[in-house]
Amino acid sequence: MNKKESFSRWGIIFAGLGMAVGTGNLWRFPRIVSQYGGGAFMIAWIIFLFVWALPLLTIELAIGKKTRMGVIGSFGKMMGQNFAWMGTFVTFVTAAITFYYTVVTGWCVKYFFATCFQGLIKKEPNQYWEAFQSSWEPVAFHFIAIFIGCSIIYFGVVKGIERANKILIPALLILLLIAVARSVTLPGAVQGLNFLFSPNLSQLGDLKIWLNALSQAAWSTGAGWGLMLTYGVYSRKKENPVLTSTTLGFGDYVASLLAAIVVIPTVFSFFAGQNMAQAKVLEVMQQGNEGLTFKWLPILFSKIPSGSFFLALFFLALCFAAFSSLIAQLELISRIFIDSGLTRKKAVTIVGVGCFLMGLPSAISIGFFNNQDWVWGLGLMVSGAFLIFLVLKVGPRKFREEIISSSDQKIKLGRWFDYLVMFFLPLQMVAMLVWWLWDSYSADPGNWLKIFATTSVGTVLFQWAVAITVFIVFNKVITKKMFREKNGN
Amino acid sequence: MEIKTLITMILIFGVCLGGFLYSLYRSSKED
Repeated sequence: MNKKESFSRWGIIFAGLGMAVGTGNLWRFPRIVSQYGGGAFMIAWIIFLFVWALPLLTIELAIGKKTRMGVIGSFGKMMGQNFAWMGTFVTFVTAAITFYYTVVTGWCVKYFFATCFQGLIKKEPNQYWEAFQSSWEPVAFHFIAIFIGCSIIYFGVVKGIERANKILIPALLILLLIAVARSVTLPGAVQGLNFLFSPNLSQLGDLKIWLNALSQAAWSTGAGWGLMLTYGVYSRKKENPVLTSTTLGFGDYVASLLAAIVVIPTVFSFFAGQNMAQAKVLEVMQQGNEGLTFKWLPILFSKIPSGSFFLALFFLALCFAAFSSLIAQLELISRIFIDSGLTRKKAVTIVGVGCFLMGLPSAISIGFFNNQDWVWGLGLMVSGAFLIFLVLKVGPRKFREEIISSSDQKIKLGRWFDYLVMFFLPLQMVAMLVWWLWDSYSADPGNWLKIFATTSVGTVLFQWAVAITVFIVFNKVITKKMFREKNGN
Repeated sequence: MEIKTLITMILIFGVCLGGFLYSLYRSSKED
């Protein structure tokens, strides 16, 4: 395998868009935006693009480009080997998300085939979902998702990741545009657009909107995951981190908006036909992880002309989005093994087998799945904090002048970046964390610290603490080979 | 469609799509 292979100029943009545009856009965004007030949420969400997602994506890309090592190696190289455990934590958070992300990707593949070949649209969705979940199929489709994802990265950066994304991303865009054209022309769709794009500014006083806007910005763009850092390893020497990250961030948001315009007007159109109140519509939209996409969408599409075709189209788009992000996640984990001296083939095989085994509990139990989604989704906040800490340790000004910008780049960051990293980003982090703890305590003072609950503060803190302790204790062991290999070169 | 909706829609899409297309344009200029 060619160790020096790197993305082309457009290759990294397609790969980065693929990394960012995933199920977070199509599966999570429409649900979250309707749960937290539609238009008002959008305002907070767009603000976090500028003050959270874009700075972090830029930082990540710059780090990968500078160190030419994966997440753990980058932390070790830039902060000293004693701090490499922070990189291990960031890697583990993304890996833990990958373990159940492959399960979701498997669901998407299953539902695409079920729509095409099993007449899903004519079946009772709740029963179909329950039957699917109680069968062996989630495990089988979890395996299929990993197999396809690993097969792509097995071929390397240019022949695997870049080539796949150059097909997946344009195809996804076309599918979304077709679906948008259908949804906005449905009777009653305007009510959905009114809900989506009419902000009630008084809702911006609710801190919950801000916390969820931040988590959506991080979830959707991939900021703070370490994914862009990993792609940065393969960037060209003259890559401009600011420009590339900006393209990805905005592109990801456009995909989210298109997905919301597909789903929300369709839901409103369906209920408008049944004379149901907006409260009922929102109740449907707010259903959990699997509720809206896998239980309600088949019902909604069954009521529109050519519904089966458009439902298949939606699930195909979801599959494309899921795979384009999954390959970035698998590459991040594989890169750690490659940094430790393994060949790509061996690294990918280990990652494939590991992800399959670690994802089994989520494939079998939806309760475990929801717990992991809760714990590690929030873990992204800590990952982001560690990346900010890295910049603070290096020195924001030095980081900006020597690592992000180089003399031949036309677009450079100003001093505002230093203040953003020194004050605003840490402040956001602390404010969100304190608010989250306070809100959880006030909502359920008796159970908020329960360790064995599906979604409690206790289970989050416990799992984070175990992971961090293990990574600190075994830091030398985990990173020994990585740095010995590097020194040996 | 309400006028408020239309204006907000144009603004939100304007920021996101405008930002995306402009950065794509700058990317093509970089080379």
